Amino acid sequence: MNWQAAAPEIFLACSGLVILLLGVSLRQDRSKLCTWLTLGAFGVAGWLVVGTSPATAYEGLYVADGFAGFAKLLILAGGALSMILALDYNAQQRIARFEFPVLVLFSTVGMMTMASAANLMTLYIGLELQSLAIYVLAAFARDDIRSSEAGLKYFVLSALASGLLLYGISLAYGFAGTMQIGQLATAMTDPANLPAGVAVAVAFVIAGLAFKLSAVPFHMWTPDVYQGAPTPVTAFMSTAPKVAPFVVLLRVMLVGFGHVGAQWQPIIEIVSIASMILGSLAAIAQSNIKRLMAYSSIGHMGYALIGLAVGTEAGVRGVLIYLLTYIVMSAGTFACIIAMQRRGQQVDRIADLGGLARNDLPLAAVMAIFMFSMAGLPPMAGFFGKVYVFLAAVQAGFWTLAIIGVLTSVVGCFYYLRVIKVMFFDGAEAAFDRRTASVSAVAFAAGAFTLFFFAMPAPFVGAAARAARVLLG
Amino acid sequence: MRDFFLHTEVGSGLLTLFETLGILVPVLILMAYSTYFERKALGAFQLRLGPNRVGWFGLAQPFADAVKVFTKETIIPAGANRFLFLLAPSITFILACMAWAVIPVQNGWAVANINVGILYLFAISSLGVYGIIIAGWASNSKYAFLGAMRSAAQMVSYEVSIGFVLVSVLLCVGSLNLNDIVLAQSRHWFAFTPLFPMFIVFLISMLAETNRAPFDLPEGESEIVAGFFVEYSAMAFALFYLGEYTNMIMMSAFASILFLGGWQAPFGLTFIPGVFWLLAKISLIMFFFFWVRATFPRYRYDQLMRLGWKVFLPLSLLWLVLTAGFLEFFHMLPRSS
Amino acid sequence: MITLFFYLFSAVLLGASAMVVTSRNPVHAVLFLILAFLNAAALFLIAGAEFLALTLVVVYVGAVAVLFLFVVMMLDVDFVQLREGFQRYAPVGAAVGLVLFGELAAVLFGWEAWSGSFAVRGSATPSSVSNTVALGQVLYTHYVYLFQLSGLILLVAMIGAIVLTHRERRGALRQDIGRQQARRVDETLEILQVPSRAGAGQIGLFRPKHLPSPVRDREPVERA
Repeated sequence: MNWQAAAPEIFLACSGLVILLLGVSLRQDRSKLCTWLTLGAFGVAGWLVVGTSPATAYEGLYVADGFAGFAKLLILAGGALSMILALDYNAQQRIARFEFPVLVLFSTVGMMTMASAANLMTLYIGLELQSLAIYVLAAFARDDIRSSEAGLKYFVLSALASGLLLYGISLAYGFAGTMQIGQLATAMTDPANLPAGVAVAVAFVIAGLAFKLSAVPFHMWTPDVYQGAPTPVTAFMSTAPKVAPFVVLLRVMLVGFGHVGAQWQPIIEIVSIASMILGSLAAIAQSNIKRLMAYSSIGHMGYALIGLAVGTEAGVRGVLIYLLTYIVMSAGTFACIIAMQRRGQQVDRIADLGGLARNDLPLAAVMAIFMFSMAGLPPMAGFFGKVYVFLAAVQAGFWTLAIIGVLTSVVGCFYYLRVIKVMFFDGAEAAFDRRTASVSAVAFAAGAFTLFFFAMPAPFVGAAARAARVLLG
Repeated sequence: MRDFFLHTEVGSGLLTLFETLGILVPVLILMAYSTYFERKALGAFQLRLGPNRVGWFGLAQPFADAVKVFTKETIIPAGANRFLFLLAPSITFILACMAWAVIPVQNGWAVANINVGILYLFAISSLGVYGIIIAGWASNSKYAFLGAMRSAAQMVSYEVSIGFVLVSVLLCVGSLNLNDIVLAQSRHWFAFTPLFPMFIVFLISMLAETNRAPFDLPEGESEIVAGFFVEYSAMAFALFYLGEYTNMIMMSAFASILFLGGWQAPFGLTFIPGVFWLLAKISLIMFFFFWVRATFPRYRYDQLMRLGWKVFLPLSLLWLVLTAGFLEFFHMLPRSS
Repeated sequence: MITLFFYLFSAVLLGASAMVVTSRNPVHAVLFLILAFLNAAALFLIAGAEFLALTLVVVYVGAVAVLFLFVVMMLDVDFVQLREGFQRYAPVGAAVGLVLFGELAAVLFGWEAWSGSFAVRGSATPSSVSNTVALGQVLYTHYVYLFQLSGLILLVAMIGAIVLTHRERRGALRQDIGRQQARRVDETLEILQVPSRAGAGQIGLFRPKHLPSPVRDREPVERA
């Protein structure tokens, strides 16, 4: 058996168990030590991902290819960034417990499994592992009623979505007689003579995964959960758990159901358009920065879905670049949001940012970079994400998507720029507490990446292109 | 005649009926006399005589008791859920009898010699909690309810370690069939192999599973009167009583089959039929039940839970891993055919 | 004969499932659920899947439903309140249910396995292998990765339950078995010869040599 193909996940899971045991057996609270160990494990896992040669394993249940590898690195980066953000935040908010890094770690294992899923069963189990850990993380500040609400809300709705996904999977299995994603296409040889049930199956799979992506119309949970969950958890939710369902959606739709594209392409297009429009319009009315970010993430998923609707290699490449830039700027933005603390209390109104430029110019500047990037203004990283996606849409003739995308981006500029206006030109609020080192590190590193991405996009674009070629090749 | 019993549906049905009676009647007689024996044994432990009035040495005592409970009035408390109230004792008793279907009393002699006998027994014993929990709820009484709650937690806790004990035994056998398990012990009984700690874990968990002293918390007559059956009288009470003792005998038989070689004769004494050996082993373990009851005071509730989850569970898990490692290392794992 | 039993169990299963949804008393609903599980197990048995049948009984009836019953019995559910919400959302729920049901019906009537699917489906179990062995053979080889991941899911559930509910109680008394066992008579018991007919005024107060202090839970760690 070729078990080495899954070495990164196996290593990560085993180190998770060790860290868990360590955390339990140490008499004092050692959440920082556990976090650093987990970060180390992430590093090693990343190294293993890079070193793993492409292979399928476990009788075809699992595939480690370049596409999965690219996604796994993004997932590991997202998990690591949010764990660094939690390092000081959790201690300040008195919710520091060693289980936090362990849960993030197991969630990451689930997501990496999803990225490597070559079988619908693997997909489902990875998804459950990922989600279950996130339910708990969302409710991690258990004495805070909002956090508990966030956890419960996410749990109930997400369980429903998982049920839909499972229903879709079982239907697909019933029709095709296989759960191997690669064999779905072989089994369904005649796309012209398609039973209605297959369309239902595909729709359910899309619905289940779109829920995790918080794409319209499965987005309702997003603002409340983003607002209620502890901020590092929100940062986590907006990074890695967006990447994993997305790559799995790409693989299932393009590889498994690629030959029945006519069935699902309209669905994806509608979801994409609705997400873009809702994300940009609903965000305008928000006064809470975390809710603003929730709608912003809905919108961003809409843009990224354009790449899937297009379904070409360029489209997949666009999606991967989009996800890369998105998780970096999202982690950075949440680092800035975490820095919004007064006397140890997290504040999260947009108005609280007033006068930030006078109190803490570097933070205001880096936040401005993220906002420009989110809005998709050149030369920030976010601009490249959008460009590659729109380019793919135009090349393949999806003009509607591209035009709506550009229009909603313009609307989106309004509220992103409003944040900048508040920071630089509005009345001064009291200064925030001193930034902690971890927050500054993440914010400035992400800021640097976002700002200087244009200088050398080639390695990233190249990697994304290679990954896309592997998926569709 | 032979064809009638083996090849027609009516005949095979009748045959099954006879087989069932053939095992249940002796079990019920055994059960009746185990109550007598228990009282005698407890008497001896406590330097008294025990029952000695009814019949020769009090031997007719069980029948006197039976007549007593049969002729008493069945009282159903106000506010009780009638159907469930009467269902609960029946469940307890029926389950205790059902389990006997798979117990082999001699090589190949079982009402149903099924492939997954060990799982069947495990499943039946895990259902036993329903009689108690339903009785507690349907009685509409605080004490009964407290007893039911205690019992639910207790039985679920100990089932886990019993499960691991079963797994380690079947690792050594390579089959879930009870007959195969006995046959696998023709050279060594598992109680005298490195599985000995599992035997001890099983014996103690068995006490908890049958709600016997020192784990008789669901009853706990000094704390919650009589626990889940405080409201029961007459026949319904008798069914609980029957169920409890039948369960004890069943668990004794289960323990004998798993660890003491079932119907296998020790020291090559094969001229005595296996049935009697099984009976002897059952009696031995039944005596263990009474002995423990006379010796140990009742556990406190938190101690009971601690023992189950913090001692037995890790211990049985560890021993399971060791067993598997041992078998693998010495190439002793049974290969499936 | 078998067919008769099949219809019997199926009928009871369907009836019990309907009662789970419609019965007003939650305890009755759980009991019907248990009945449904048992009948499903019986159907598995008829289908020849004895391992699955008994595992269903052990896991769902013997453990999950017991705990479920345990919780439901202790809950004090206010049905009036529950029904208020129900009536408000009933139309939406019914609409969603209807759509799902319609899709299911569409699937059922349009069901047709692809001809290509026969080529890729898993091979059937050989008759010489009992289905417990057959399950074991694939579960621990082909599906070992998923099997282990399922274990991780359960672990995460357990961690989650502990993280969200466990609180260290300040100063709770705790039994330390080792310490109890290690205690000897002469450490705790002091036998004194008390002179008779002498009051406390003459002989003073007796005090134990050393009062064993009860073991307390460690003070909860201040999360710094």
